Amino acid sequence: MMADEAGRAGHGSGSRTGAVSLEFRGVTKRYGHSAQARGAVNDLSLEVPAGAICVLVGPSGCGKTTSLKMVNRLIEPTAGQILLDGVNVLTEDVTELRRRIGYVIQHVGLFPHLTVGRNVAVVPALVGWSKERQLARADELLSLVGLDPAGYRSRYPFQLSGGERQRVGVARALAADPPLMLMDEPFAAVDPIVRERLQDEFLRLQRDLAKTILFVTHDIDEAIKMGDLIAVMEEGGRLAQFGPPDEILAHPASDFVARFVGADRGLKRLSLVTIADLELAPIAASAPPGLPTFSPSTKLRDALSVLLAADSRGGVALDEEGQPCGFVTVDAIASALAEDRQPAATRSGGVTRQGATGVGAAAGDDS
Amino acid sequence: MDLIGATAAWLSDPAHWQGANGIPSRLFEHVALSGGSLALATLVALPLGLWIGHTGRISWLVVTSANAWRALPSFAVIGLLVPFTTVLDANLGFTLYPTLVAMVVLAGPPILVNAYQGVADVDTDLVEAARAMGMKERQILLGVEMPIALPVLATGIRSAAVQVIATATLGSAFGFGGLGRFIVLGDANKDNGELFGGVVLVAALALTTLGLFLLLERRLVSAGLARRTAG
Repeated sequence: MMADEAGRAGHGSGSRTGAVSLEFRGVTKRYGHSAQARGAVNDLSLEVPAGAICVLVGPSGCGKTTSLKMVNRLIEPTAGQILLDGVNVLTEDVTELRRRIGYVIQHVGLFPHLTVGRNVAVVPALVGWSKERQLARADELLSLVGLDPAGYRSRYPFQLSGGERQRVGVARALAADPPLMLMDEPFAAVDPIVRERLQDEFLRLQRDLAKTILFVTHDIDEAIKMGDLIAVMEEGGRLAQFGPPDEILAHPASDFVARFVGADRGLKRLSLVTIADLELAPIAASAPPGLPTFSPSTKLRDALSVLLAADSRGGVALDEEGQPCGFVTVDAIASALAEDRQPAATRSGGVTRQGATGVGAAAGDDS
Repeated sequence: MDLIGATAAWLSDPAHWQGANGIPSRLFEHVALSGGSLALATLVALPLGLWIGHTGRISWLVVTSANAWRALPSFAVIGLLVPFTTVLDANLGFTLYPTLVAMVVLAGPPILVNAYQGVADVDTDLVEAARAMGMKERQILLGVEMPIALPVLATGIRSAAVQVIATATLGSAFGFGGLGRFIVLGDANKDNGELFGGVVLVAALALTTLGLFLLLERRLVSAGLARRTAG
């Protein structure tokens, strides 16, 4: 859970390898004299606690990528401050700063002339690690992102699929164990199925790594899935709303945000809640056999979909051991939307996310 | 005597393979002059081209003038230089210098333009990724842009090398040695065997050089760029 991760990361932040807090304080970027220019940013202020994933989302040209690139100073702000653990990035040596910040982009930017292993070890090599340590680290990270080091370390980028390249990109960004990662549409260039898998795997990794992550996307569904916090930006580089996903979905701050999150925001909210979060009714003795069953990690959105598809008003919730433990009804799911949920309560970590694929498959079997 | 027979006879005559005017010493002159001017041209044009490609500065000026420069006929350049280079050195001015300077001047532009183009064409996302990882500008140029631009860059040096070998032949008309000497003398003596023997030698040297450069490129260019499987 976010609060726990932030707390845990807080202990390690002195060592530089934990996570850092990130704050935008009145950050403005103007291009020319127009405040409306594409990519401009207007007085952006937000705070991301250490260990949290903050997603910048908005239509193209809203300044989200500009905001991200101002953190590692690929773009310099016109005004304002960006603070990492309270230290203004503009006061730091730019090369040192960048070597402490992981960076993943849409087209990955793997170096075509270097092997996968050497691509991953770029930053360790820059900061002067020994050859053996670089190799060991590259292998470790390839394993971490699910690529067998023996099979992959000597390959070149052109020999990888899009999804594999993206994994190597993530491994490379993690190589020097940076406390902050910047990810600019990292999963946009792969097909939806691979994207979903990469997202799930990344969230699972993040549970252990607890990095502070600034993540840019134009896809609101990705923002809801990935973000502990979501910053919705609108044209002109203004922050339209900043908060946890459920808050953005439940209470859009403006017409723009409501339109941006979409008319199905109620259903989207249901994907933030799992069966485990629901208060279950006891199973009636008269319940007919053959009702749909749900694991604790099933998202309510998927559960609702299964119930509607099965034309059933209720289903059976199973516990971790697969034993029936309660009764789930369409009404109970609907009432979950009435509550205002705290992020810590709704984001039950990777269990939710791991379950997502399983339930998807189950729903497929039903239809 | 027919041409091929005469040429073969001239080439196979052991007398032509020894002494200060023999084929080996002319070949050495030719290679030394070509190699020297190619090295000089590379020394000037390569860093300049890389720098312009990396920064994008004054690229329009340099590329335009380099291309205009390429249109100059080598023969004219050598001839035009003679009056100036005799001032430098009365003895060598008529022999070595005009050809050397002309060759440097002619070899420079293809090296410069290709170095510029190769670096300028490297994907900007890639360069930005390198910068974002904390590479310094020099590290980006030498560690990312140059290796990726290597095939284009090598093409420039390779075509300059072949051009320089051809141009060194022309130098003989202005008093310099080299393999062109056989062509000049053969023509003057109405000795077709010597004339075409010289032609064959120059052609063989140019092709050998081309082959050596291609081999070297194959070794130097990353398998990841050539899209060859490693091994």
